[in-house]
Order: sequence, then structure tokens, then C-alpha cells
Amino acid sequence: MLPPNTTRVVELKIPSELGYERVAREAAATVARRLGFTPERIEELKTAVDEACTNAIRHGGKSDARMKVVVVLTADETKLDILVKDPGVGDSPPVEVLAPDIQAQVEGRNPKGGLGLWLIRQMVDEAYFVEDDKSGGNQFRMIIYRVADEKHPTPEDISPPEVDTGGSRE
Amino acid sequence: MIDDIQVTVRFERGATIIDLAGDVTTFAEEAINKAYQDTSSNGAYNIIFNFRENDYINSAGIAILIGIVTEARKRDQRLLMTGLSSHFQKIFRMVGLTQYADLYPTLDEALASLEGVE
Repeated sequence: MLPPNTTRVVELKIPSELGYERVAREAAATVARRLGFTPERIEELKTAVDEACTNAIRHGGKSDARMKVVVVLTADETKLDILVKDPGVGDSPPVEVLAPDIQAQVEGRNPKGGLGLWLIRQMVDEAYFVEDDKSGGNQFRMIIYRVADEKHPTPEDISPPEVDTGGSRE
Repeated sequence: MIDDIQVTVRFERGATIIDLAGDVTTFAEEAINKAYQDTSSNGAYNIIFNFRENDYINSAGIAILIGIVTEARKRDQRLLMTGLSSHFQKIFRMVGLTQYADLYPTLDEALASLEGVE
């Protein structure tokens, strides 16, 4: 765990080619271990980072290895913030994310797949595309908090500090 | 970058076991589908997908498995899955794969269930 008011930043650039998402996934897991997250939360984080990078590679970078996907991991004492940036040369991000209807997929009424974004949202505390990206690409942010009760902090949560005795996610 | 997966098929105690060694991602699609199609062509009824606990499965891998449960349903086959970590057992339940395939912690437990010994 980090001391108060300190951050650690890890920045990765991976080729926009499927398979390299594994590099980002393992890097995120390493940072989360250093922050003291539980093994269960680390597995959830790995799934979220892998899916986000896979989307960035396939859709934002059109699987063109000459392009880069950038992953910025920012850790502080309360959370791990993961920003995935892609060139934005492919499809636009979806406007809504629906839960998968596997029955419809199995019965052939819906196409198979399309699970990635939904899965990410089940794994992390916050996940959203960042708007007003001046770089022209897509930016997707995910956040996991160290304590479950801090999932959605407000300004009132930040000050004054209170002792939290109920959190199980560390 | 290609992530290799090793897919092998064996027969044990009345079941067809498809052993998966490696990450189950888009790179695994051809090998997994071929193993499944080959076993189905040979008339397999009870099919066990035996994962390794430390291997990774992403949404593309889950989509491959959805394709297989779709085929298995048409062929009236029974699918079982074993060896998954608790994380992927949770994900398979969340996605709904467990409506179509029974999960067992170990291969022995899956085989025992087929023999009516639970």
C-alpha cells in the first residue's frame, strides 16, 4: 500500500496486435499486487484490462501492429486507475452496453460474442469512455478501489476522513 | 504474436475428454472447434472440456464455447467443464454458460457424475 498523497504511474505502449494485451494484463496484475489487492480482485482486474486492450487493438487500432495502444496505470493509496488509449481509426465506441443474452445466441437469434464491455463492467468499480479526447483516439478508463465502501466517493467522502471498518476488498 | 494452445482428445470411463492447455482466446478457435467437430463426428455423447486452472480465458474464448454449446444442443450432447479457477467459474455463471454445461472442480468429479457416483 502506498503512503497518503503519493502516486505511482506505469505507462505501457503495446503494438495494436492481438496477443500483446497479455503484456498489459500482467503489468496491471503486478501493480495491483504491490497495492495489496486480494487475489480475487487481481483476477477481475486482469480480465478487465485484457478485454479493454483487446477492444482497443481490434476496434480502435484495427489490429494494425504499426499502431500503438497506450495503457496508463496510476496507483494511489485508495485506488488503481487504468486508462487505455487507442488511435481511434476503427469503430466508434458503443453508446450502450447490454447484458449478454446467451439463450438468444445459442438459439441463433443474436450473433455470438459482444461480451467484452459488459464483462469489464462486472469486474471493476467504474468503467467508461472518456469524452472530449483532443488526441482524436478513444480513451477508456477503469477504476478499482481498495475498499469496497469507497466505490463511489464523493467530496464529502474525501474530507473529513473516517475510519472504515467494513471493507473487504484490499 | 500467436498464443499457442495444445488441444488433445482422449477417452476415459465412457466420456470424451478434450484437454485444453494454454490460453483460450481467439487464437484457440480453430484448434478447439476441430477437436470438438472430430469427436462429434465419432459419435461422442458425453464431452468434457478439461481446462488448466492457471490458463486464461477471454471473451473471445467464451464466444468459442458458446458456439460449441450451440452445436452440442443441436446434437443432444452433454457438455461438462472441469479445472476452471474460481474466477472463471464465476464468469461462466455470470455469462450463463452453466445453463448449457455442467461445471465440476475436477475431472474425477465430472467422470464420477457421469457414472452416477457423486
